[in-house]
Amino acid sequence: MIILEPNSYALEECLLNRFRSKREIVDITLVDFDNVLYHVSTMDVDKRNELTISIKVNCFDELVGYGVHEILHREYGNYLSQQVENDYNVTLLLDLDNLQQDEAELAKKISYIKRNMMEAPFELAFKYFEQQNDQPGEVMKLSYREDEYMYIQASQDRVTVIFSTRFKEEMDRVFGRVFLQEFVDARRQSLISNAPQVLYSIKEAPLEIRNFPEQRQSNDFSHITFILFPRHFKDEETKEKTVSQIQLFRNYLHYHIKCSKAYIHSRLRNRVSEFLKVLNRAKPENLNPTEKKTASGRYFRQSKSSIA
Amino acid sequence: MSRLAPVVIDNGTGYTKMGFAGNTDPQFTIPTVIGLPNKSTKMTSRYGMASKKGIEDLDFYIGDEAIANNKMYSLNYPIRHGQIDNWDHMERYWEQSIFKYLRCEPEDHYFLLTEPPLNAPENREQMAEIFFESFNIQGLYIAVQAVLALAASWTAKKANQTLTGTVIDSGDGVTHVIPVAEGYVLGSSIKNVPIAGRDITSFVQQLQREHFETSIPPQDSFEVAKSVKELYSYTSHDMAAEFQKYDSNPSANIINHSMVDSITQKPYNVQVGYERFLAPEVFFNPELVSSDFLVPLPNLIDNAIQSSPIDTRRGLYKNIVLSGGSTMFKDFGRRLQRDIKRLVDGRISESETLSHNNIKAKPIDVSVISHKKQRHAVWFGGSLLATTDQFYQFSHTKAEYEEYGPSICRHNRVFSSLA
Repeated sequence: MIILEPNSYALEECLLNRFRSKREIVDITLVDFDNVLYHVSTMDVDKRNELTISIKVNCFDELVGYGVHEILHREYGNYLSQQVENDYNVTLLLDLDNLQQDEAELAKKISYIKRNMMEAPFELAFKYFEQQNDQPGEVMKLSYREDEYMYIQASQDRVTVIFSTRFKEEMDRVFGRVFLQEFVDARRQSLISNAPQVLYSIKEAPLEIRNFPEQRQSNDFSHITFILFPRHFKDEETKEKTVSQIQLFRNYLHYHIKCSKAYIHSRLRNRVSEFLKVLNRAKPENLNPTEKKTASGRYFRQSKSSIA
Repeated sequence: MSRLAPVVIDNGTGYTKMGFAGNTDPQFTIPTVIGLPNKSTKMTSRYGMASKKGIEDLDFYIGDEAIANNKMYSLNYPIRHGQIDNWDHMERYWEQSIFKYLRCEPEDHYFLLTEPPLNAPENREQMAEIFFESFNIQGLYIAVQAVLALAASWTAKKANQTLTGTVIDSGDGVTHVIPVAEGYVLGSSIKNVPIAGRDITSFVQQLQREHFETSIPPQDSFEVAKSVKELYSYTSHDMAAEFQKYDSNPSANIINHSMVDSITQKPYNVQVGYERFLAPEVFFNPELVSSDFLVPLPNLIDNAIQSSPIDTRRGLYKNIVLSGGSTMFKDFGRRLQRDIKRLVDGRISESETLSHNNIKAKPIDVSVISHKKQRHAVWFGGSLLATTDQFYQFSHTKAEYEEYGPSICRHNRVFSSLA
């Protein structure tokens, strides 16, 4: 349905296929949102049971600063490979003949790798929050896509997440604006009043991030600020949910912009076919009426102007 | 920045194959079906799916999920006979296949789409409109399925890497014979056979019913027939000899196939006999299943090539390429080659006798090429094509679309050197 999953469906399917089929030599490249690349391959032709899975994330260097290695060790400790494949950031090594876990579970777990890596700054922020410092923490920047940024900052009573996004298309920008303004109104409904507060601004960057060089250079960003209150990360379960959903925000936004366009197109098509029906009704039924004869064999022609 | 792999989507009547270029198999093969919520007729009366409140337009499933939810959602097939029939549904189908299945941002990718031979240029324009306007893709290339199938055959051992050849494309719904000369589809010589995968499956099902295979639970019988067809079928040399072989030594040829009942979960056995070689025989003796279509596939191929321009015929005989799941039967290519060869040689010797052996014809080389990637040949060909450097030159970019409009897609730049 509408829901996008936080894990990569393609990667999960691909791994399940590998686990369940014959040991073939494979070389598969997959793509995920935000320019993430996966590479599933058999490195060594003689060792067909060894499967390497590499991932490349745009902002890996920044993630390292936020302690992504800890998370990787916690989640994938046994599978991490020392040797990282060229052009990729993290490599996992699986022995297909000797999987230590249930196949489906393992495939699912690995397909979450992007989400788990992106979790690093969030975890830092939540930790900082728990320490109850008086000063707001440092602003953590993630350049998760080329020319688009995400900032996370923990302060005494909340965690702020700011997306600075850019629309390539003028159309999309308009759609995006309508969408995001709607966010503010939608929150008034009682059903979702627990959702985090959302602020939206164009051109003017929020105060927290105004000092970053990329913000000073250009002013065509759209900024979306989420304010997470303690209730959004009170226990592990909500934390996990929050992180998964915030990460997918940009993708949802773009997905929905595209869906709205598709919806408008379907209305357009519908209208056109309605209009065509009306036009077809207006067509005179018989343009060349058969000539009518009188009993005596004489006939008369209508003059052309009277038809029109 | 290095470019991200182009996305290759092959929307067929039965199944959609999609994935990233550079891989050998598509990432997803899902039925081309969209499940829309059952709505009261009152609501849909005036504007159809265009009337809505809230987010109903997002409430739908595609592919296997749609089939799994067919109690709450009514199934719609947006593609009929290879052509896109309902653009509203198709647009939403693509929406979900890109975002939910492939999980890629369409703005970052080039796309390769496929079209059936003889597709109307208006359809191509519609496709371009949807992909450039709705999805803002970087570039688009629309390829003809038959040409991609030819390109896919280049991986075969005895392949001669040309774009001239006859493509036998047999999927679930219909079988086509498409002669292609230098990458150009000879539209007037295309022939159809209304027999394809689904007909063979129901033929197997019918045979099993006639043999009183009572152990098969009725709700599973189609699935059983399908798996029997896929697992055990092979093409025989001679039907009569094969019958004799089975009758003289039944134990060596009849196979026991064990299955599990989908409801009671009890295992049971099915005996697989004559249907092993009778299933593919349908192509060579269509009277087995059909009373109005009686031309065997080899004759049809021969007719198609004979109706093509005379200077292309040798090339067309020399490179007969198989594509689609229903051509996967063991030795199918060999049988086809033998039968076509027989027809061609017969005709040549006849004309030689008519000329009282004064004229000797140069023998015609007939060869049918089968390869490992046959099942997803079209997709695989697309994947191959999209990894070449020329792909970016031949694609229509977003800038060009904005400059000229959707009509750019009427022209395929592969042929611009000819003009």
